[in-house]
Amino acid sequence: MMESLKLVIVLTLICSVAGALLAVVHDVTAAPIEAADAKEKGDAIMQVLPECDNNPSEDVVSVNADGETWTFYVARKAGAFVGAAFETVSNQGYGGDIAIMVGVSAKGTVQAIQVLSHKETPGLGAWIEDEEKFRSKFAGRSIVDTQWAVAKDGGDIDQITAATISSRAVTRAVKAGLDVCTANMTALAGNQP
Amino acid sequence: MTFYKELVKGLWKENPIFRLVLGMCPALAVTTSVENSLGMGMAATFVLICSNVVISLFRNLIPAKVRIPCFIVVIATFVTIVDLLMNGFAHELHNSLGLFIPLIVVNCIILGRAEAFASRHPLWLSIADGIGMGLGFTLGLTVLGATREILGAGSITVWGDLKWTVAGYEPMILMILAPGGFIALGCLLGGMNHLQALAAKRKGTIFTPPAHLDCRSCVMCKFGK
Repeated sequence: MMESLKLVIVLTLICSVAGALLAVVHDVTAAPIEAADAKEKGDAIMQVLPECDNNPSEDVVSVNADGETWTFYVARKAGAFVGAAFETVSNQGYGGDIAIMVGVSAKGTVQAIQVLSHKETPGLGAWIEDEEKFRSKFAGRSIVDTQWAVAKDGGDIDQITAATISSRAVTRAVKAGLDVCTANMTALAGNQP
Repeated sequence: MTFYKELVKGLWKENPIFRLVLGMCPALAVTTSVENSLGMGMAATFVLICSNVVISLFRNLIPAKVRIPCFIVVIATFVTIVDLLMNGFAHELHNSLGLFIPLIVVNCIILGRAEAFASRHPLWLSIADGIGMGLGFTLGLTVLGATREILGAGSITVWGDLKWTVAGYEPMILMILAPGGFIALGCLLGGMNHLQALAAKRKGTIFTPPAHLDCRSCVMCKFGK
């Protein structure tokens, strides 16, 4: 009896100390983690948008489309609408979700895209991160003048060799967001901060 | 002297990857590049030293019957601390290692050292063991990572600034995929056994490979015979 009581006490003691220690560390790191996440997203937004003089991370418009809520980050220069950015997620990747930040100009053409996170295979699907090999293929395209599919499926976007699934996932995700963005362009442009 | 002995044994004589062949899950998963290998190695070293210190200090207080749960709680606590600190202060590294950090909890090197060494030896020897084993693990991962990155990507990139490319080499993508990990590890282990067998022959002694890597009973080749 005494022995099993000792086991319980020691294990409880160790777990309580561990719990307390973790609470302290969590407290200390919560703010830096949040800041790092926000900075990462803010940087991606600025990279995909045309030149602007407002803070798009705080100039936010929410749009409801087919039961999904899309968040648009609006860019302005001297008060005039110059473009919007949005985050789109694909669950059709080869290794899990792919999150992409897409920037659209006021004319409705893709300014640039950035891959926020992915779990694609290094050396194959991971090339979706590469500007020259893949991301640049989206620049300047709009919803009307482009066949939104990879070349293998008869579209205009050249897929990465040996990584059709990853390329297809990105292409579809960008198109889904661009559809919503184009349809709501006037609302986005008309929105005053 | 004993301190020094415990420190250096992890580097070669009892190298966790090449001699003990422990911790294969992270070893094969993260060694697609030198950068990931170094990051994983250093994170595991930190956890290993911390857990060795705590377990060695409390080795007489922890009852034998609940020692494994106690070790796991200590290790899991330090892993979570590393995870949180890395996420807050080295966000980039955390992005590339994110998935593997929680795996350190079940890394058998850390539990293995807690059970086989720290729970039976005084503090300063346990620290030496932690540093040595950690560095040995990092060294093993880096050698494996460098081999795979050179063959599989044709270049080595460390923290974006140091980049070294093999000119005119067409990368073998297989080497940075999962099978490449097994192939690279197998070739490195085989090569090391072969070199040691040759060295032993020159000295006139008999080479004894680690128990589970003894290929002398195998009939496929004549190494070590």
